[in-house]
Amino acid sequence: MTIDQWTSVSRAAFTAALVAYLVSMLLYFHFLAFRRKTVWKVAIALASIGLVSHILAVVARGMAAERVPWGNMYEYSSLLALLVVAGYLFIVELRYRVHTLGGFVLGFAILTMAVAAMFFYRGPAPLVPALNSYWIKIHVVAAITGSALFALGSGVFTPLYLWQSRRERRRDERLRAEAAELGAKSPAPIMGGSLDDDPPGYEAGADEPAAGPSRHGLLPPAEVLDRLAYRTIAFAFPIWTFAVIAGAIWAERAWGRYWGWDPKETWSFITWVVFAGYLHARATAGWKGRKAAVVALVGFASLLVTYYVVNIWVVGLHSYKGF
Amino acid sequence: MRTALVLLLLLAAASVVGSLIPQHGVADPRIAAMELDHPLRYDIYEALGFFDVYGSVWFTLIYGLLLVSLVACLFPRTRALLRSIRSRPQPVHELDGFRHYAEREVAADPARAIARARKVLRRRFFRVSKTNGATRALAAEKGIAREAGSLIFHWSFFLILIGIALGKGTGFAGNAVIVEGETWTEAHANYDGNIVEGRFFNEAHTGLQLDVRDFQVTYREDGSAEDFVTRGEVTVPGNRAEPVEISVNHPAAVGGVKLYQFGFGWAPIVEVRDGSELIASRPVPFSQLASPPGADPRALPWNGVVRLPSLRPQVGIELSLWPDSSALVQFLETGESSPMLRPVDPVMTYVVYRGALRLKSVETSNELDKSALQVWKRGAVGLGGSEEIGNGLTISFPELREYTVLHVSRDRGVMIMLVAAVLVLAGLVAALYSSRRKLWVQAEPVETGTVLKVGGFALQRRMQFEEEFSRLVDELAGGSEKRAGIR
Ligand code: HEM
Repeated sequence: MTIDQWTSVSRAAFTAALVAYLVSMLLYFHFLAFRRKTVWKVAIALASIGLVSHILAVVARGMAAERVPWGNMYEYSSLLALLVVAGYLFIVELRYRVHTLGGFVLGFAILTMAVAAMFFYRGPAPLVPALNSYWIKIHVVAAITGSALFALGSGVFTPLYLWQSRRERRRDERLRAEAAELGAKSPAPIMGGSLDDDPPGYEAGADEPAAGPSRHGLLPPAEVLDRLAYRTIAFAFPIWTFAVIAGAIWAERAWGRYWGWDPKETWSFITWVVFAGYLHARATAGWKGRKAAVVALVGFASLLVTYYVVNIWVVGLHSYKGF
Repeated sequence: MRTALVLLLLLAAASVVGSLIPQHGVADPRIAAMELDHPLRYDIYEALGFFDVYGSVWFTLIYGLLLVSLVACLFPRTRALLRSIRSRPQPVHELDGFRHYAEREVAADPARAIARARKVLRRRFFRVSKTNGATRALAAEKGIAREAGSLIFHWSFFLILIGIALGKGTGFAGNAVIVEGETWTEAHANYDGNIVEGRFFNEAHTGLQLDVRDFQVTYREDGSAEDFVTRGEVTVPGNRAEPVEISVNHPAAVGGVKLYQFGFGWAPIVEVRDGSELIASRPVPFSQLASPPGADPRALPWNGVVRLPSLRPQVGIELSLWPDSSALVQFLETGESSPMLRPVDPVMTYVVYRGALRLKSVETSNELDKSALQVWKRGAVGLGGSEEIGNGLTISFPELREYTVLHVSRDRGVMIMLVAAVLVLAGLVAALYSSRRKLWVQAEPVETGTVLKVGGFALQRRMQFEEEFSRLVDELAGGSEKRAGIR
């Protein structure tokens, strides 16, 4: 096939993936509200089909550009969205068996892809010489994987956790007020839990499709969301660390210094430190729960700056990156 | 922990300041612009060290405090870890209170069953309690890597500090501009002032000599550079010359320094004659102006200057290089310049000024100080040609060469940093991807053999431990007997 044919295959597969995700997202929200098991099955099937098409889009893009398909913002964003969806399907659906969050995750992926297609689309082109090193290829893949997981943990699960935990707190206050009115003993507060505790009463499958809306409202219990956020971020942290190290090794080989505080390096450092702060907060008395979640939100903001603001507006050696 | 957390967040906030305000070494032109346009703001920032945040007193203070708090918290944790490595898990009496609990009947007698359990657990990398006398019970645990990894991770920061202090303190870094066919000597004066030397650098430059024979750029069809390579010979004092090749991403390491391909440019040889006397003859490294946002940097014209301070009045010549005359015509007609990629039939345009040059002691700038100069003549000269300027002066353009820009640096801390990076990563993976599990086994004799009681819990990843626990129980109760039966 020619470059042009690969390019159009890639674009068509990208669009097909976007449409599949979109429909799947709507079905997931339907499932969140009404808990029909068939709807969930169709949603997950569509998301999987979308994922396969998305993989085809990325591979075809690589064939068209005759290099690895992660060389500019459009390609980074596409790969990031792909990893967000894959991360959700494999980690959250398969491993943690939480099925109700697909709509939010797909929404995030769709947004990323739409922004990529509208603002960052570039035809396939070769890389500038400095980027033609296997360290940069490793660095970029690690950075995108880390970003995708950080985004999932801090940009999707953390806000859901904050929302749900506020609902639960309100409900507890209401129950306590009612109980006080009745002159009864107030219910025990929800257990704080240590770093990585299972919430009381939560077992695998507690959120099974068949188990209609729970007493917690539509979303899984706040503690499940908190733990999901923590696990995703803790999983991403070493990957991000590796990305920063690989970047430093590459910078050493290409420019003769492993660290120069250029904007990209500075912001990936800030993101790293803030998420280290989140991991610490989770283990610090008085910071668990909502305060730690706020640190994660700051981490997400920092990730967005690292990814969008620095890549697009700020000039540094890294802006060779093809944007 | 709270101190560490607050300090970490402070470190992040301080780094944000450094990314918002232009920094020395990264954005010097913007700092210079601020000095002119907003002198008050410039003075305040300068006083607060905002132009060098990462080297400032307060940034150092934050990470210094972080490291102090780190030591304070690492010593007790390390001592506790060493103690728990030396001791073994202790058997307990009541097992059925644990989160996970199971009983199985096996045919073997209690001592044999416990001995087997010991073997099975050892094979699965559990640390098992000592045998001494206890033939009916054992305790086992796994996942000490979690704490050990976390400690390795945190201790590595001190190694990083050592690596930075050694590398930057005793090292130097600068750029060398070398025209094809010339020899460059590694010495302070030959960096044209753009060198940074460490606080403990003892001025012992290597004196190595680099003879650049050839510089080549390969272009793709679309005109973008695919690769650039500098070839030549390098001589470390006292040794024989050796061939060397330096290209992007492939630095050369010679005599304790590293040479990196950094950039390149055009260096036309310009000769000026006063009558028949040759008063200037050298390659002039041309440069491009900083590219305006959005412009294709390759298409910017290349400019250079020649200064003739010996003439009265003094003369300065501004030169621009064009790939061929049609590119020049295009520029004159439309204002659009075309990329100077290959010399097709190169032409230089010149503007000659007369007056006072106002030279500084070291003059490396590619711009004339025109405050005391008047335009005298304009013209163009092609490759191989000569043009009369007037008053007996002629300018000629006998040859077009390229120059290479090499980044030269010495950093003795790089290996330490690499080791530290590996430790950081290994520590993190161990700390964040592993979990601590504890298990107890008791054997009680019954008529048909033994009842094995197994209890245990995990401190992290409890859902996964549920599966692991039932697998372990099966194995302890004779998974291998079953396997033996199949065989
Ligand atoms: C230099 C910056 C630091 C970074 C990047 C950092 C990073 C981390 C990370 C990623 C973890 C999670 C690993 C794990 O769960 O075991 C962690 C845990 C921990 N850190 Fe730090 N840390 C830093 C400084 C400190 C300091 C100064 C202290 C001491 C006051 C400290 C005390 C701890 C403790 C006690 C834990 C264990 C938390 C737990 O596992 O329950 N850290 N640190």
